[in-house]
Amino acid sequence: MEFLNSIGGFAIGILGAGLAAFMAGIGSAKGTGIAGEAGAGLVSEDPSKFGKAMILQVIPGTQGLYGFVIWFLAFSKLTGVADVSAITVAQGLQILGACLPIGFAGLLSGIAQGKVAAASVNILAKKPDDWSKGMILCITVEFYAILGLLASFMMLNAVSL
Amino acid sequence: MAIVEMKKLRLLAVRDSKEELLRELIRHGCVQFTELEPRLRGTEAEGLVRSEGSELNALKAKHQSLVHAVELLDRYAPKKTKLLSAKPELEDRVLIDDTGLAGALKTAETLEGYDTRIKRISAEESRQRAVIESLQPWLDLDLPLNFEGTERCSVLTGSLPSRIPVEETEAALAAVDEESELFTIREEKKTRYVLLVCMRGQLAAMQDALRPFGFTPSALSGMNGTARQCQLDAEQTLKELAAEKENCAHYITDDAVHRDELKLAADRVNVKIAMAEAEERLCGTESVLVMEGWIPAEKENELAEVFERFGCAWETLDPTEEEYPEVPVKLKNNKFSDALNMVTNMYSLPAYGTVDPNPVMAPFFILFYGLMMADMGYGILMILAALVAMRKIRPRAGTLSFCRLLLYGGISTFLVGVLTASFFGNAPDVIAKMCGSSWKLWDPVFSPVNDSERVLYGAMILGVIHLNFGMAINFREKLRHGNAAGAVFEEGAQFVILLGIVLYALGLLVFPDAALLQKLGLGIMILGGAMLLLGSMRGAKGFGIITAPFSCIYSTLTGWFGDVLSYSRIMALMLAGGVVAQVFNTIAAMPSEKGVTPVSGVIFVVVFLIGHALNFALNLLGCFVHDLRLQCLEFFGKFYQDGGKPFEPLRIRTQYINPQE
Repeated sequence: MEFLNSIGGFAIGILGAGLAAFMAGIGSAKGTGIAGEAGAGLVSEDPSKFGKAMILQVIPGTQGLYGFVIWFLAFSKLTGVADVSAITVAQGLQILGACLPIGFAGLLSGIAQGKVAAASVNILAKKPDDWSKGMILCITVEFYAILGLLASFMMLNAVSL
Repeated sequence: MAIVEMKKLRLLAVRDSKEELLRELIRHGCVQFTELEPRLRGTEAEGLVRSEGSELNALKAKHQSLVHAVELLDRYAPKKTKLLSAKPELEDRVLIDDTGLAGALKTAETLEGYDTRIKRISAEESRQRAVIESLQPWLDLDLPLNFEGTERCSVLTGSLPSRIPVEETEAALAAVDEESELFTIREEKKTRYVLLVCMRGQLAAMQDALRPFGFTPSALSGMNGTARQCQLDAEQTLKELAAEKENCAHYITDDAVHRDELKLAADRVNVKIAMAEAEERLCGTESVLVMEGWIPAEKENELAEVFERFGCAWETLDPTEEEYPEVPVKLKNNKFSDALNMVTNMYSLPAYGTVDPNPVMAPFFILFYGLMMADMGYGILMILAALVAMRKIRPRAGTLSFCRLLLYGGISTFLVGVLTASFFGNAPDVIAKMCGSSWKLWDPVFSPVNDSERVLYGAMILGVIHLNFGMAINFREKLRHGNAAGAVFEEGAQFVILLGIVLYALGLLVFPDAALLQKLGLGIMILGGAMLLLGSMRGAKGFGIITAPFSCIYSTLTGWFGDVLSYSRIMALMLAGGVVAQVFNTIAAMPSEKGVTPVSGVIFVVVFLIGHALNFALNLLGCFVHDLRLQCLEFFGKFYQDGGKPFEPLRIRTQYINPQE
């Protein structure tokens, strides 16, 4: 406890905010990366499919956005306090805990969605008329990132500094 | 508003009238032929009739050639078209006609010829470029490249790795013959290009002496003249090729006037292909054609007139229950429920003889969509997009129902947005605050951020209503098929339980003083439960009588629990969209916190536009998918029987031109 006190609630809160943004960010970066590679392969064969390949690529990009939203809310909550040194360790841990759902959900769902998007590039290549079905398969994964966002958001709302 | 009633058609026609009859039928567009031959196998008729052949493959090749020609024109002479434009329309009579087809095919052939020539020229160009490249090291050599030597001496061009010192090679040559000499023509980083001069007759020995150093003779001997001359020649050839290529491209561009003609021809061939495909399903003797197929019952009179005119012998039959899996399914809906056609088609058509889900699904789908999106601004965008598309593209069939869905979804989104008081999130409040005013949009009736719990329960109650609608349909269907016991003991029992729960909850929450109401509710619940258990034992045999009630309780409870909880996604999406929109508004307004400057104003507009474009696109798709899931999984699970085959009549299907309606 002594150790945690020496770090301070503000720093722990900031750590949480950072985790939300960077873990979800990694998820999206990997996801869009995986989908982008597959998309580039297709575009090299058929450049006219660029637009659709790009749409599939950006679908796993939303996790990073959700992480950023939570980062923003947590950060403005933390810096909105008149005296940041007054934030207790307990409050800092609350913020940290509230940030974790979108961090982990974003990280893993981003990568998973990227794989689905990459597989959907195959649909786009082989059955171009049915590519929207691939999009639907991708959106199923999205829901869990949305749930992470909601969990984080509601918990953040419940924390009072 | 239902699945269209179909009738089986049997038809005998005179062979001579085949072409004319098919043309007439394709214009009516309401006969689907079934393949006859497999059904005749092994019957008396097998020896009499044979399957009709057609020119299907030839027609497909023609179609491909015409489409390719149009693509060529689009590539070499792109025509500026408006972003949103409707396909031109022509009378179906014109599309069925095949005059001018030969001319268009000839044009297509010529165009393809030019294209092939251009491809050949491109190949030749890269060959010439390779020649120029390979001549580069020999430009300083004044000897003709095919010069092999004089009466006494031989010359040979070749290359050596430049890491070998000149002295070493010279020494090796001197060891064979002092008279020989190696001239360096050009020294490059890795390779040294050399000319070997030696006495005639010693050439082979010299080559042997140099081989250990990695000497390779060059492959230039086939060329006449010096390297410089050859290179000039190749450059000249390149120029000529480029000119020829440009000419060919010009010829193609000149033919751009025929674009519309080619498109019309391609669509005329499309019509012919449809007819040929139908033809392949027919059978016939030398003078008579036999056909079998399906027609919508409502078109019978219209077709009767045609068949009479062609002197056909024909009959129509109502399909028997056994034939139901074979009967093609066509849905008929009004302008409102038609919007959901797209959803049903994406899932799977209902089996013939069951219920068309569109009319029941439509109000729920549209309501749920509005609840999930819940924003006046987004609603307006959707309405505008739908109206513009419907006006400009004049869409047909699938696209039209999609546009309608977008329109209704937009209206519903707008209305729910009025209730939650959101216009691009909380944009009005944020903008008012930026301008220093404390003006606020009206207070929301419910807001996902502040009353998330209420919204969550509301979503689940909607889910219960939705699921009960599904069960009610199944109840009615079971009664209609004479399965009254099933209807009462399964759906009926669940209705009774639900009624009990509602009464009990009313007693508990709304009228806490009326103890009777709670007791009544409890009693009804128990009655329903007993009905359900009895029902589950009805079909069971032996030991199953004991296990059936348990599995029934388990599956009913988990089924309802999972299904109802699933509707919480309505609240989740409503909240998520709203939160993301609000955060973007806040970020956009941040630079303007200490008063609006031109720079902060621009930042606001840019962040606002990008953020909302992203959020809008994401929600547009996300809400659709989750709404779809609620309909196809939870709702359809209660009653839907899929597996219908789509009705695909012989009709005019085109690519570039729409038939006039």
